Amino acid sequence: MIRFRNVSKIYSPDIYALKNVSLHIKPGEFVSIVGQSGTGKTTIVKLIIAEEKASKGRVIIGDWDITDIKEREIPILRRQIGVIFQDFKLLPRKTVFENVSFGLEVAGVKQKKINDVVPQVLKIVGLGGKQERFPRQLSGGEQQRTAIARALVYRPKILVADEPTGNLDSINSQEIVSLLKKINQFGTTVVLVTHNREIVNSLRKRVITVDQGSIISDQKSGKYIL
Amino acid sequence: MFLFLYRTIKFAVQGFFRNFWLSLVTIIILVLTIFSITVVAGINVVAEQAIESVQDKIDVSIYFKPGVSEEEVINVRDRLQELSLVESVLYVSKSEALEKFRVQHQDDQIILDSIDQLEENPLSATIVVKANNLDDYPTILAVLENPEIDALVLDKNFDDNKLVISRLSDLSDKIKRVGIIISSIFVVIAILIVFNTIRINIYTHREEIAIMKLVGSSNWFVRVPFIFESIMYAIIAVIISVAILYPLLGLVAPQVSNFFDGYNLDLIEYASSNFLRIVGLQFAFAVILSVLSSSLAIGRYTRV
Repeated sequence: MIRFRNVSKIYSPDIYALKNVSLHIKPGEFVSIVGQSGTGKTTIVKLIIAEEKASKGRVIIGDWDITDIKEREIPILRRQIGVIFQDFKLLPRKTVFENVSFGLEVAGVKQKKINDVVPQVLKIVGLGGKQERFPRQLSGGEQQRTAIARALVYRPKILVADEPTGNLDSINSQEIVSLLKKINQFGTTVVLVTHNREIVNSLRKRVITVDQGSIISDQKSGKYIL
Repeated sequence: MFLFLYRTIKFAVQGFFRNFWLSLVTIIILVLTIFSITVVAGINVVAEQAIESVQDKIDVSIYFKPGVSEEEVINVRDRLQELSLVESVLYVSKSEALEKFRVQHQDDQIILDSIDQLEENPLSATIVVKANNLDDYPTILAVLENPEIDALVLDKNFDDNKLVISRLSDLSDKIKRVGIIISSIFVVIAILIVFNTIRINIYTHREEIAIMKLVGSSNWFVRVPFIFESIMYAIIAVIISVAILYPLLGLVAPQVSNFFDGYNLDLIEYASSNFLRIVGLQFAFAVILSVLSSSLAIGRYTRV
């Protein structure tokens, strides 16, 4: 599903964000990518959604080699990968409903279908009655649920979560992780980037540990080892 | 395509109202810009029309010797009329000149009696020449230097008017030049102010633009709502400007007409007959400026 072949990301001749990274994430897997701040975890996410391009090596999503993806193809790629971020990245001038439906509107989905699908997804993430609220009227946990709903509404095969619990308390964090596990059970490949030891240890799923731009450990049912 | 247009217009309207204060500030800046540029343009129009009115009052009279026949004078008139530089040639015959003289001096019985005492009409035939431009008089009058014509001419008042004509011509050129320079500086400043206001407006949306890109928006889906929003600013700004300018013109125009008393200067008539042109130019200026500014500003933030 996601394949990195000897990928390096070099910002200047002596600054390596990633150094010769190779990994393969299979369809339906739940993988945690862990490591301390500044070790290259977020660079992996940025390469997956083509926010950055690899300096060396190849990045393949499904059957699509996106290493040299063209500017106009990026929106098509991003409509197939759900992404959630630590700072939620919700559109502040749009309501919960509009935030979730935005991706579908961009993709040219008809309004009738949007009106059917969005309330269903909001119900799944537990925001059934809050669709007319603006992000500023929601708690952190609710904002992250909105972001998850926005990522899910495409029915993506891959969901990438970049530090999704970084701004949340432990109760909200557990709820978000439970939601991610549920999404994974429906068959979506989940890539969770985090440095939250508790969460990683409670998951008992595959753990890839990154340190100074390199993968130092890849365990099938791993723990946070740093 | 229809769905794309519908959604981008919907997003533009939403953006406009949900960011009402920012929209209002942008519109106010646009109104001030349009207003100022129109006023500067208006002053240029007044100056130009005033100069034209003064120019219109200038002509050159050519007086013929008493013995010259009417046919010869008409010949000279026709030759002058053929010149492209000449706007009009008025022939005043001896008898018409006498009639005019009588009317001018109708209250002075002594003069009228003196005229009556004379056996022959002492006044000569005259032709009054009006050129298209002040600068054309020397060329036109050069034709009269021809010995054939020169022999018929008693006098011409060009030499009396020469200094006035040359000074006026010089002054009108200077006024036009200064007008162009001041207007250009003003337009550049106005453009920069609007450009920066819209840039700040877009800057406040930079994160929003990045988010749109991250969830799969194409560049056009990000750009077009902002462009429509800019067009909305322009339309509203032009409506407000016209709503302020025309009533204000109604107040100012009589004062201007009084100031240029005796000259043909009717600002209300000018503004009414050029209404579509003025509003069209204001609209084109506002739309081009705001759309260009927002397009350039967005470009920087869509590279995500």
